[in-house]
This record gives sequence, structure tokens and C-alpha cells, in this order.
Amino acid sequence: MTDTSLTATAAPRLSRRIDWPGIGFAAFLSLVILVPLLVVAIWAFTEVWRYPSILPQKFGLRFWGATLGRNDVWSALSTSVLLATTVTALSTAICLPAAFAFARLNFPGRNIFFLSFLTVHAFPKFGLYVTIATIFLGLGLVGTFWGVVLIQLVSTLMFMVWIPVAAFQGVDRRLEEAARDVGASPARVFFYITLPQALPAIIAAVLLTFVGTFYETEGAWLIGAPTVRTMPLVMITFINSEVVVQYGAVLSVVLWVPSFILMLFARRFLGPQALGRGLGA
Amino acid sequence: MGLLLVAVPVLLVLWLIVWPIVVAVFTTFQVDTPKGPAWSLESYSFFFTDGFSLGNLWVTIWTTAVTTVIVIAVALPIALYLRFSNGKLAAYIQSIALFPLFVPSILLAFALIRTIGPNGMLDTLLNAAHLPKIRSPYLTPWGPVIGLTWDNLPLTLLIVLSGLANVSTASVEAARDVGAGSLSILWHIILPRIANSLLVAASFIVLGLFSAFTLPYLLGPAAPEMMGPFMQRTFIDVNNPTEATTQAMITFLFCAVFAVFYVRSVASSQRRRG
Repeated sequence: MTDTSLTATAAPRLSRRIDWPGIGFAAFLSLVILVPLLVVAIWAFTEVWRYPSILPQKFGLRFWGATLGRNDVWSALSTSVLLATTVTALSTAICLPAAFAFARLNFPGRNIFFLSFLTVHAFPKFGLYVTIATIFLGLGLVGTFWGVVLIQLVSTLMFMVWIPVAAFQGVDRRLEEAARDVGASPARVFFYITLPQALPAIIAAVLLTFVGTFYETEGAWLIGAPTVRTMPLVMITFINSEVVVQYGAVLSVVLWVPSFILMLFARRFLGPQALGRGLGA
Repeated sequence: MGLLLVAVPVLLVLWLIVWPIVVAVFTTFQVDTPKGPAWSLESYSFFFTDGFSLGNLWVTIWTTAVTTVIVIAVALPIALYLRFSNGKLAAYIQSIALFPLFVPSILLAFALIRTIGPNGMLDTLLNAAHLPKIRSPYLTPWGPVIGLTWDNLPLTLLIVLSGLANVSTASVEAARDVGAGSLSILWHIILPRIANSLLVAASFIVLGLFSAFTLPYLLGPAAPEMMGPFMQRTFIDVNNPTEATTQAMITFLFCAVFAVFYVRSVASSQRRRG
């Protein structure tokens, strides 16, 4: 991949001058970012790879069956999917109406409430989780599914409010007014004019929430241990105490799927500028 | 009507963010006496006299400082390159530099262990080239630095890039026309305009590293450990929530300046957009 894209892009520039800094950056980033991931991908399709051979002695899919046949993997997968679905559904249900209100309605305390979601990101998150966990101890929520749902729900609030607010504000008001003028009801205007225009950003926020929750590790561990076991926690066990490298490698490839889907989507709907601005730059 | 629609998420923030912090202030600054709770600095004075706790705080500060410098030193040249060039190579560099956004830290940790860990890919290649093995950074303080640098590169790059968008190509060309060298353009024209973005990026990294858990836990040494794993162990293994809360408050304290800066910057950029 590296070689082909390098030659493909460097060739036309040869006629002018060689873009050495660009080639340097591309080679450096390919090396440090792609190589570690490539190593894992090779391990996932390896049956025998003894040190110090550069390539595996035997390729094969034997460990796919072995990894996917493990009970702990399947129960963790269903826990993770159930958790991520619950958190995403709850977050969507409470944040989207709030986002609409922030974007369109005027009410006392609007600005201060809007900025209050920033507090979630204004503290080092793990410290915040520890203070929440201390509260949950008293409420008996530690070690429960709903305790994990609540702690993961909190960290989704800001994006699930702020991204849709920007989307609702970006909707062309003249279209809505035109629809109202020809007699459409407010509900009809919302579902036929407003929502469709804001939808791509809303879907992006929902997807971000689902994928972010799926990989969330520290809150789930702090609150859920030892009863709630999610996929990242199984992966930690594989890293710490599994001698067979392939289990971790196969699980890495499987676990990467949600992120891969998010990546494909993000490329279409979220430009780098939008992302950067969302971070407060 | 509006208040009703925003009530649930706002109440959640009050219940799960504001309330726990208020409670944390009371539990960490008070001790139980026969006459009822009294104000005391006991848990803090324990932390700041305990060599083990101080070692963990120190390794967190060290890792944060080193990682912040490395990430910005790597991201800034790449961002400058991307700002002033286009074409396929620039597009490739941008997409590869942003790729870590889509690699969860748990998978990154595994990949790094297989690559730079003992008998990993790096050792294999060194061996094939008949070179001596390096001392692996895995399970040393440099392990988390490498992982966290990898992890923080894309967001830093995005923030710096969006700051560079404020630097007009015309101003750079004008300076070049009057004979300014690349370095003096960088120092006098570009850096002043992106100073705010660099500070936002640094705040982001600092806030993230003081609460980093997965990468230091998996890549770093057992002792001294960073504040994230330290708090987790104090809470779960040592089963001492008050001490864990004290540690959390100390991370808040150390990040306070950066947090205030970050909040002000986001709030003002929100206001600018209405």
C-alpha cells in the first residue's frame, strides 16, 4: 500500500521537483502507524510463527474458529452490544429533544445549560468516574449493568447535544417558512423539512456514541467489575494472561469492525475542519 | 417548554458530574470525629507525604510533559506541510495521520506489544539484520509515552490544522517576497496566529493523560504507575474509595489551569458561531 501510493504520487511531481518533506512524512507515518496494525493482521491469520522468523511458518484460519468458539467472547460480545445499544438509545431519546430546544427555543438559562455539558470534558475523565463511582457505592449501583449504562451515558451527553444543535441551526429556515406558508402543520414541517436536513449530522452523532460506548473500557471496569464483562475487558485479559497470541490478534480484527464502519461513515459526513472546530480549536 | 425538553440531560449532568464533585470535596476535606465531621487536610497530607503516591504523581507529570512535547513536535511540521501543499501525497499523509482516530486504544496496546514488545516485530527485524536487540520500552515509562503519542496525534493535528486555517497564504507570501526566511515566517507570522490552537491542543493532551487508563495500564510498569491505573487500583483492589477520590481531586487540581483554558476557548468559539 505504501509503495504504490508513494510512487503513484511522487511520479508526476518528478517533472518539477521531488517533494522530499512529503515523502519523508508519508514514509514515517506509514512506518509508525501502519506497521503495528499490519503485524496484528498477520498474526490473526497465522497458525505457527516462531521467533525469530520474519514471516510465519504456517498461515491458516485455525484460530478464528478457536477464538470465536470461546464462551467468554460470546457473552462479552452480547453484553457489549446490549450496553452500547441501551446507552445509544437512551442518549438519543433524551439528547435530541434537548438539542432541538437549544437550537430553536428561547428559555431562561439557555446558554448556561448549554455550556453545562462542557463540564463532562473539563475534568480528567477518569477522576470524574472515580467520584461518580463513590456515589454509586452508596446507591448499590457498583457491579450492575445499569450503573455502567449511567456512567457511559454521561460521557455521550456533550456530543449528542452539541452536534445535533449545530445541525438544527444549519437547517435553512426559509424552507420551513415556505412550507408553513402553504399550510403545513409544525409537526409536518419538522418531519419533512427540518429532520431530513439535520439527519446526516444526527446519524454521525448516534454512530459516534454507539462506537465510543462499544470501546469504552475504564468506566465499565470501574463500575462493572467483576460482574459486567465487556469486549474490551476480555481483550485486556487476553493481553495480560493469554499465551496464545492469535486469540488477541483475531479478537483485534473482529473488534475493529465497528470502528471501521465509523471510519467509512466519517469520511463521507465529517470533514477534518468540522471535527477540529468541534474540539474547540 | 424548552426547559422541559432540556431537563433530563441537564439533570443528569447535575446528578452525575456536579453532585459527585461536591460530595468529593466534602469527603476528602473532612474526617469523622466523635463530635461529627470536621474539616481536615488529612487525606491530602497523606498523599503528599506518601512516597509511593508522589512517585505515581511524578511519573504522570513526566509522561504528560514528554508526550505533549513529542506530539506537538510531530504534529506541527505535518500540519504545516498539509496547510501549504495539496495533491495526492498530502491527502495520503492526512488520512494516515488521522487513522489512529479509528483505532481504539485497547487494540493499539496489543499492536504495540506485538511490534515493540519482547520478541516482537522490531526484535525480529533487528535479529534478521544481525543487530543486537534493543531494550524494549514495553513495561517501562516509555511504553505509555509511545502509545499515548500515537493516540493523541490525530486530534492534535486536527486542532493545529484548524488553527492554521487562520493563517492566510497571502500573508506568508508577502513575507517571503520581502525576503523573510522559512524560520522567521514560522516564528513571526505563523506561530503567533496558532498559539491559541497549540494551547488548546496541549490542554486536550494534558486532560487526557491525567485520566489515561488503558494504555498506561497495559504498556507501563506496575510501579510507578500513572494516576489512571493508580486510582483504579486504589478503588477496586485496595478498596479505599476516599483515598481514590483524593487522588481524583488531585488530578483535577493539576489540570485546573488547562481545563479553564479549554472551557473558555470552546465557549468563545461557540459564541462566535452564535
